[in-house]
Amino acid sequence: MDKEQLIKEAEKSIIDADKAKAEELAKSAIAAGMDPLEVINKGFSVGIAKVGDLFGRGELFLPELILSAEAMKVAADILNASLPKGAQKRGKVVMGTAQGDIHDIGKSMVVSFLQANGFEVYDIGRDVETQKFIEKAQEVDADIIGMSALLTTTMSGQKTLIEELKKAGLRDKFKVMVGGAPATQRWADRIGADAYGVDAADAAEKAMKLLGEK
Amino acid sequence: MHITHSIASGMGGMRTAGDLVARMQMSRGMKIKEAKEYVASKLKVSVSDLADPVVMNEVREDLDIGRVNALPRVAKGIDAKFRIAELLGIEINCVNQFKDRIK
Amino acid sequence: MQKIYTRMGDGSVVELSESEVRQDLEEGTKDAAERAKIPPLSEDDLQRLLELYKCPDKSVGVEKGKEVILSYDSGTTKFNRVNVSVSKLQSLQIYERMLGADTMEMGHMDYSYKPAKNIMWIEQPVFEQALLVTIPPLFYGAMPNLGLYTQPDGPCLNPMELLPQGKISEARATQEEMIEHAVRDMVYVGSLMYESGADGINFDTTAAAGDADFLATLRAVEILKKKYPQMCIEMGMSGEFILGMHGELTYDGVKLAGLYPHKQVELAEKAGVTIFGPAVNTNTNESCAWNTARAVTFTKACVENSNIPIHANVGMGVGGVPVTETPPVDSVSRVSKAMVEIGRLDGL
Repeated sequence: MDKEQLIKEAEKSIIDADKAKAEELAKSAIAAGMDPLEVINKGFSVGIAKVGDLFGRGELFLPELILSAEAMKVAADILNASLPKGAQKRGKVVMGTAQGDIHDIGKSMVVSFLQANGFEVYDIGRDVETQKFIEKAQEVDADIIGMSALLTTTMSGQKTLIEELKKAGLRDKFKVMVGGAPATQRWADRIGADAYGVDAADAAEKAMKLLGEK
Repeated sequence: MHITHSIASGMGGMRTAGDLVARMQMSRGMKIKEAKEYVASKLKVSVSDLADPVVMNEVREDLDIGRVNALPRVAKGIDAKFRIAELLGIEINCVNQFKDRIK
Repeated sequence: MQKIYTRMGDGSVVELSESEVRQDLEEGTKDAAERAKIPPLSEDDLQRLLELYKCPDKSVGVEKGKEVILSYDSGTTKFNRVNVSVSKLQSLQIYERMLGADTMEMGHMDYSYKPAKNIMWIEQPVFEQALLVTIPPLFYGAMPNLGLYTQPDGPCLNPMELLPQGKISEARATQEEMIEHAVRDMVYVGSLMYESGADGINFDTTAAAGDADFLATLRAVEILKKKYPQMCIEMGMSGEFILGMHGELTYDGVKLAGLYPHKQVELAEKAGVTIFGPAVNTNTNESCAWNTARAVTFTKACVENSNIPIHANVGMGVGGVPVTETPPVDSVSRVSKAMVEIGRLDGL
C-alpha cells in the first residue's frame, strides 16, 4: 500500500470506527518507514475531525463517536510510541468540565484530539471542583489546564480557576485553555486565559501553539 | 428579555385578548390565524382589535371577563374564567372542577 | 460605507458592512438548510432580514395585527433566580398584570419532573390557589431531565461512564431503564396537576439528555393524552437536533437520533402534543444575523410541516438570542420580529 492510500484508509478506519483496521494501518505505516506525525495529521486526525463534524450535525451518534475515538486512540498510541524519544509526548494536559456542569461530550472530544496529537492527557471528568484541576496539574506536572463549560452559569468556573491559580502563585506555571458553547475568544481574553478552542481540532492546534511558545 | 418580546411581538395578555386567543390554541389546537378569527368573531371585534389595549379593555369591561386594572365589582380569577368558558364555548379545566365541587 | 451596528452570538458588539451582514444571512440559512435538508430562506426573506439588520432603531416590532401568543415557560422560577423575593403566586400575578403574559406557568425551583414529584403535596395547593385568582391559562411545567435518573443522582448506571469504557450495549440498556423511570414521574406529576385544574402541562427542554429523553417524553405524552383527552400538552425542545446518546431508539418506526425540528414535530403531534416549541442553539462565534437566519430557517420549515401551533423557544441562547446573561433589546427584538413575521410562528 502506498503512502497516499494508507493515509486515506487511516481516515476511513476512524470514520468506520474500525479499531482493528486502525491498529493494522498504524503498524503498517511504521513498518513502511512513514512519518508517524504525517500519518496522524493527514489520516487519522482528518477522520476524527469528520466524525466530530458528523456528530455535530446529528448524522452520527454518541456510541459511534466513542468507538471512533477508541480506534483513534489505539492508532495514535502506536504511532506516538514510534516517535523519537523526547518527541513522543508534546506535553501534559489536565482536562475537565467546570464544577456544576455535567456535560462532557465536548470535553471528551478535545481529550481525543489532544491524545491523537501526542499529548499526555489526564481527563478528570465532569462537574469537577476547581481546586481539583490545580491539584491534578501539580501532581502530574502538567503544562496545560483545560476547562470546558457548556452553561453560562458554569463558565464562571474558568474565571475562578485563573483567580485561584493566581492566589496560589501558580499562574505562570500552567497555561490555561478554555472552551465550550458559551465561551468565546473575547471571554478568554477577559478572564486572562492563554487560549480558547472553538472546537476539538482548534483546541489541539492551540495547545500545540501554546507549548511552542513556552 | 421578556419585556422586549412582549413589546416586539406579544399579544398583550389581559391588557388585550392574548389570554383568550391562547385558550383557543390550547383547547382546540388552532393555529394563530384561526384562533384570532375565532375569538374576534365571539367578541364581535376585528382581528386587529384583538391586540389593541384600548378596544379590548372596553370589550372586557362590557363582557365582564376580567380586566388588567383591579377595579371594584369586576370579575376576578375563577369568576372571569366561568364567563370566558361560556363566551368562547370551551371547557376550562379548573372551572369544571370548581363546578363539580359546589354541586 | 456606513457600518451596521450588530452583535455576535455572545452579545458583544460588532460593526459589519451591508455585504458582510448579507453574507452572514446567506451562510446562516445555508447551514440550517444543509443540516436539516430543508429549503433555505427565499431571496425575499433574506432581503427582509437584511432590512431588519440595517434598521438603525434600537428596538423593532411586528406589524400591528401580526402579534402572537407570548408564553412564559418556567415563569415562577425566574423571579427567584434574579433574587426577587416573591412567592409563586405573586410572581404569577406580576406576569398576569404587568408583563403581558398570554399564558403562564408554575414550576418547582429545581425545574425537573423527578424532584417535583416529591413535593406535589406542596405544589398542588399553591397551584390550585393560583387557578382561583388568576385569569390567563396556567401551565404546570418542568424538564424531563433524564440525567437525574443516573447514579449518583438516581438508580440507573450512568451511560456517560459506560460509553467511554466501550460498554455500548450496557449504556443503551441503562438509558432504556431511565426512560421507564422518567415516564412514570412525568405521568404522575402531569396527572396530579391536571386533576388540580391545570390548563396545560409543559415538557420543557425536552431531549436535553438525547434520544432517550425525547422518547420518554413522547411516551408520557401518549399516556397522559389517553388518560385526559382534553389536556393541553406543550413540548419545548432543547436543541435543533436530537442528540443520539442511545442512537437506536425509535418512535412509531422513526429513528429519533438526528431528527431536526420539522421532523420532531411530526412525532410530537402523533403522540398527542398540542403546542410544539422548537429550539435552535445560538452559536457564540457567529453574528446575530447568521444565527437569526439559521434559526428562522429551521423554525419556518417546522411551522410549514406542522398541523399544531408552534411556539418557538426564543430565550437566552436559543432562537438567535445571544448567549449572555443580559440579552440586549436590539438583538432580542430583531429575533422576535424575524421569527414571527418570517418564521410564521403561532407564539413564542
